[in-house]
Amino acid sequence: MSSSLSIGRQLGWLSAVSSGAALLAASLALLFFQLQEVRSSSLVRLETVADLIAFNIASAVDFNDPHAATTMLTSLKTRPAVVSAGIVVDGRIFAAYARPGASVPENGDLLMTSAGSRFKDQELTVYRPISSQGRPLGMLFIHADLRDIGQTWRRFAVITGLVAIPALLIAILISQLPRRVISQPILRLASLAAAVSDRKDYSVRAPTVRSAAEIEQLVVTFNQMLTEIQAQHAEIEEARARLEQRVADRTRELESRTEELEGQGRALAAANGELEAFSYSVSHDLRAPLRAIDGFSKALLSEYGGDRKLDQRGLHFLARVRAGTQRMSLLIDDMLRLAQVTRRPLERSDVDVTAVAADVAAELARRHSDRVVHCTIEPELRASADSHLLTIVFENLLGNAWKFTGLLAEAQIDVGQTSLGGEPVLFVRDNGAGFNAAYADRLFSPFQRLHDESEFEGTGIGLATVKRIVTRHGGLISAEGIEGSGATFYFTLGGTS
Amino acid sequence: MQGRVLWRGSLLMAAGLCLARIGAGATGAEYQVKAAFIYKFATYVHWPASADADVNTPFVIGVLGKDPFGSALREVVRGQSIQGRGILIRNLGRLDEALRCDLVFVSSSQRENLPQIFAALHGVPVLTVSDVDQFAEQGGMIGLVTTEDNHIRFNINKSAIERLGLRASSQLLQLARIVGEPQADRGRR
Repeated sequence: MSSSLSIGRQLGWLSAVSSGAALLAASLALLFFQLQEVRSSSLVRLETVADLIAFNIASAVDFNDPHAATTMLTSLKTRPAVVSAGIVVDGRIFAAYARPGASVPENGDLLMTSAGSRFKDQELTVYRPISSQGRPLGMLFIHADLRDIGQTWRRFAVITGLVAIPALLIAILISQLPRRVISQPILRLASLAAAVSDRKDYSVRAPTVRSAAEIEQLVVTFNQMLTEIQAQHAEIEEARARLEQRVADRTRELESRTEELEGQGRALAAANGELEAFSYSVSHDLRAPLRAIDGFSKALLSEYGGDRKLDQRGLHFLARVRAGTQRMSLLIDDMLRLAQVTRRPLERSDVDVTAVAADVAAELARRHSDRVVHCTIEPELRASADSHLLTIVFENLLGNAWKFTGLLAEAQIDVGQTSLGGEPVLFVRDNGAGFNAAYADRLFSPFQRLHDESEFEGTGIGLATVKRIVTRHGGLISAEGIEGSGATFYFTLGGTS
Repeated sequence: MQGRVLWRGSLLMAAGLCLARIGAGATGAEYQVKAAFIYKFATYVHWPASADADVNTPFVIGVLGKDPFGSALREVVRGQSIQGRGILIRNLGRLDEALRCDLVFVSSSQRENLPQIFAALHGVPVLTVSDVDQFAEQGGMIGLVTTEDNHIRFNINKSAIERLGLRASSQLLQLARIVGEPQADRGRR
């Protein structure tokens, strides 16, 4: 399309230029050769003529027959290059010939005593001594004008040109052949390829051509390629159709399932929300009547207690009411806290875990100053977590540890960090009552208790709260324990540093 | 050496040219030219090889009849040679002496005896030259002719020469008027 020429044109030009150059070189060489040839042959011819005349004319000189000699010299008129000729005997012209319009040279120009040739300007004079039986008789000279040779050469040039120009034209005509034989099949092939590329029609075939073997091979290969592409294209189309069908099926399936799941999710979220709202409001609303029971039982005890109206039995019942209300108050607190943990947004920060655990432990020690508890906390523990929720975690875990070591004279509680698969894992370990490993999966469900209320007090909500906090952090929690030999709680906080 | 040859040749030619211009009446000058011609004829004719024709035997020019040359013929051939053979001039007293010559000049005095001379020389390779009228036409070989402008020319009976195995060069023939019994006239005059 741009400035590049077609193959045929290029081949044509190449052969035209090369044959033209060869023709030019051959013509020039021929002309040069002709010039040399003409020059040397004219000299040789003139010398041969001089030799012949010198031999033939000797007898005429010998027998003093200038008329016969002149007749012989006149035979030179058939040679147009010869201007004049003559025989000099004893310094005098014995016989002479001159071309019409020319004159015989003066004697002074003829001083030559031996055979030879003399070039002067464009003129050639050949000298030949005349002798008979070794007796010198005189000197023959033939004077020729080589300017005529230039004319001869020009004639050669014209003839060469007349031959070379038609030859060049023929060469150019012949050079057009590749265009037809080579270029046209390639062009057809190219347009066919373009059509195939444009229309994606792989069913067309290039017609076989009579051309160069490579081009015929090209056409055959092109058609084979088309056949192969057509087959592959059909295969691809079929595979794509199958794939599309399958994708459509799957999509429909997924859509229906997604809808189903979304419906379920929405229903579940709604149910969950309702449940939480319900438990929160229940817990909250339970407080007012409970406070009334607590307050009035307290008033009953202060005003009717002592020795005045209530007997021992009445006082005992009243104490049971009071204990019940307190326990109910604890339950409500814990339930509210569990609900809060779920509702509060998570606010992560870099938390000094050691300090949080130490604060909780100090508070516990202050509350249970009668007990001997050795609490060891690994220093410089840090984690990315919600510090408020993490405090709740330690309050529960350390509280449990304190609680379940309550029967021991000397309790040992450890807080530390280990690692599992490159992830830091915090743990709280005690040497208390432990638990039956068979029920370990029930530990973290609310209201599940593995110990009797009379043995260790508790609401059964603490570990459920811990689990919920850990889950909200994206972490995991697990417990290890042997009944009577202590328990260890491991947890991660998902994104701890 | 070459210079000497050239000089001698020039001298000879000068003599020839000078004499050629001399009128027929001047008998001495005329025969000087004819003497030179006789010598030159010998140089343009080839004799067949024969046993006695080697370089040691002289080339004999015989003058049959009254000698018209005086000393001219001897002067012309002095110091010259024909095909390497020295030249001997002999005045022939008897006809049979001609048989031992290579070239015989028949003097005009023998005008009447031509048939006998030709008969005697029949089959013998002797070049016959004469200035007798119609010499070549009658069976002689080279007949000298004086033209109207007093130049000496010659007629050649080519067949008579060739019959005897002699061969006249083309250079000689081209200057002559060719005459003779069966021969067409190829001459220029």
